[in-house]
Amino acid sequence: MIQFRQVTVNYGYVPGALKDINLQMHDGDFTLILGPTGSGKSTLLRLIYMDILPSAGVVTVDKWSSFRITPRQINLLRRKIGVVFQDFKLIENMSIFDNVALPLVIEGYRRKYIKKLVHVLLDEVNLLQSMDQRASTLSLGEKQRVAIARAMAKNPFVVIADEPTGNLDREASKNVLSLLERINRNGTSVIMATHDYELIKKTPYKRIYMENGEVLPGERTITIPNKKINLLTNQE
Amino acid sequence: MKFFFILKQTFSNLWRERTPVVATILTICIALTILVALFEISFVLYDQLRDLKSKMVIEVYLDPDATNDQVKSIQNKLETFNTIERLRFVSKETAAGIFKEEFGENIMDILNENPLPVSFEIRLLKEFNHQEYLSLFKTQVENLNGVDEVHYRHALIEKLENVTEAVAIGGIFVLIILVFAMNLLIRNTIKLSVYAKRRQIDIMKILGAGNLLIRMPFIFEGAIEGFIGGMFSAICLIFAHKFVAGTFHLLEIGTSTYKMLWVITISFGIGIGLITSSVSVGSFVNKIFSKK
Repeated sequence: MIQFRQVTVNYGYVPGALKDINLQMHDGDFTLILGPTGSGKSTLLRLIYMDILPSAGVVTVDKWSSFRITPRQINLLRRKIGVVFQDFKLIENMSIFDNVALPLVIEGYRRKYIKKLVHVLLDEVNLLQSMDQRASTLSLGEKQRVAIARAMAKNPFVVIADEPTGNLDREASKNVLSLLERINRNGTSVIMATHDYELIKKTPYKRIYMENGEVLPGERTITIPNKKINLLTNQE
Repeated sequence: MKFFFILKQTFSNLWRERTPVVATILTICIALTILVALFEISFVLYDQLRDLKSKMVIEVYLDPDATNDQVKSIQNKLETFNTIERLRFVSKETAAGIFKEEFGENIMDILNENPLPVSFEIRLLKEFNHQEYLSLFKTQVENLNGVDEVHYRHALIEKLENVTEAVAIGGIFVLIILVFAMNLLIRNTIKLSVYAKRRQIDIMKILGAGNLLIRMPFIFEGAIEGFIGGMFSAICLIFAHKFVAGTFHLLEIGTSTYKMLWVITISFGIGIGLITSSVSVGSFVNKIFSKK
């Protein structure tokens, strides 16, 4: 379970990146975090993998609390979380295989096991044939699939996706969403931040709407070109 | 698997930053060559000085008109010095014999008389063969009744001592500068490598990599630079040895000397590479990621 209790984040002299956030995300949930650019979605996600710590309040992820977590424990926590980014964060000069294998190398698994698991993961995302290619040679959609395979390598209890479709075309975006849905069906929690309302409008998942660093309560509507969508009901 | 990953990253760092890496290896090679050469020169000079001192003889010349009793008395007094290893009486006849040995002519044939004075040849115990005691000894002996002059190769020893001291002091000075230069260049290549790989380090941190896994490739990089620099330095020194030995017949070189040169230069190279990179990689990684 992931819990935010009265969490505030200030970046340096800029106060209020997040303001007094109270949230709970349960195991196995698929949670969508919606809101315009600069609303605090990424900050909220960075708190989960403790890339930043709250200025006030407490974030609890599984058995770790931001209040008393040590740098060593942050490393351990990150090994239990899969993270997918808009800019993929792949090591461009490494092969696809090496990129997916990286979290397993970090965990210290044996070569044989890593090889076997990476093959399975790349097969899942339909990239087994290209595993020796460098990440830099892939299309954006393929890169994001590699990033998802890498996130899944550690068998995480939660996958965090920060605008995973931000750089992708419609078809690739749908592929990424369906991959994340498949991961969720297998019991892994997924938390996805997006402002691609068109993509998620027909999905039944829990929604959290953010604006100016705050979680907005109740029913909200957002405007996308030519359409008005109710965020909670997905009705136009 | 972690070890292979670290090795792969190390060689990728070395290849990516090959120009600064070559400059660093060259600097380490030059610095180590100069350092070891200076050390060897100091060692040879010190050895020569010790040898010269151990063979050094103090000559105590007596007044030409000193009586036998005075000679006996001086001998008795000299024998009371417990710093003397050997005392030898040189009569006028023995002195004439030495003259003939050294110059090939009989002094009696040249001057029709033997003006060479009676003297004592003294060899001091090793531990008293230094400038300070020699001056004191000279003053004490010159004050004895019937002694005309006390003589030893004062100037040569003083010169050799000064040269040895200058080489040692200069060596320390050069050592400081060269170690500083090596340190600066290794730090620079590590900094470039860390900077070039900042994105990779960031990704590894997000994936939960510990400090050791992130830093090890850079630490190995420094050690490998030191190793290669040390190896080239050993090769340079062996060539220099062969040249000096062949030209001046100064040094006797055996296989053990060569082995020692390999061991000294390579271990010193690796040592300085390891220490410098270990210290610098931590600070660079922290500096880059604290700005985030």
